[in-house]
Amino acid sequence: MWTRISDLDRMFATMDLLRGKMDRLGTGLDRSYGEGSGWRVVGGFPRTNMYDNGDSFQVMAELPGVAKEDLSIRIQGNYLELSGVRKAVVPEGFTAQRVERDSSSFTRSFTLEAEVDADKVEAVLKDGLLTLILPKAESAKPKQISIN
Amino acid sequence: MSTNTELTKRTEDMVEKRPDLLTVAPAVDIFENDHEILLKADMPGVLKEKIYVNIDNGKLEVSGARHLETKGARNWQEFDDVEYRRVFSVPQTIDVEKVHAELKDGTLELHLPKAESAKPRTIQIS
Repeated sequence: MWTRISDLDRMFATMDLLRGKMDRLGTGLDRSYGEGSGWRVVGGFPRTNMYDNGDSFQVMAELPGVAKEDLSIRIQGNYLELSGVRKAVVPEGFTAQRVERDSSSFTRSFTLEAEVDADKVEAVLKDGLLTLILPKAESAKPKQISIN
Repeated sequence: MSTNTELTKRTEDMVEKRPDLLTVAPAVDIFENDHEILLKADMPGVLKEKIYVNIDNGKLEVSGARHLETKGARNWQEFDDVEYRRVFSVPQTIDVEKVHAELKDGTLELHLPKAESAKPRTIQIS
């Protein structure tokens, strides 16, 4: 009996692998970006990238259709929170034929590896892409030690 | 809605594209009123110059590539360079000459006006 269950398990693992491969096939399947298992992020919207540049962190987020006024960024120590509202409403006088872009409010928070200097943070929202440059606090920056 | 049924990619489509660029379909909303069809597609990070809209033989093709400018060591990455591409069938009643597009906050807005002859008309009874 137990052997069979482990066989079943293995079969499911193989199916997952196959599904992963199918997801990467791309265009042929009528599936939009953001839908389906292959592109869904467990943490939800928006998707983010994070890079460490030594002296600073760079955080990027995909925020299509979000206006500058509808986005708020909070930083405290090493805690970063992105929140906002994405409005996707039917324009006046129009009827909707197909709706895939959701209207939603979102919040995502991150714990950074080091404290950042909140006064020197730069944020740019351009073409639906948010780029944050978060300089690390003095104590967290890498230091060159000279040998006596 | 996608009518992209080619089994293999035609090579002439792929000139100047990086072969490993993933192609995905952008999420779209389609709205309609008496005068036009309005299409909105989410393409975050795509520059205006990199967007390509083509209407030919009743097919509307929208595509755009995105190249992220990043440096430093990657801690995590949930999205990457990508090519958005989607093909739609459009009715012949669209006035192709008057189609116009705007890019706003990473969302492409495509206005497809209907030809005069295709607009609804009220008939007066004489």
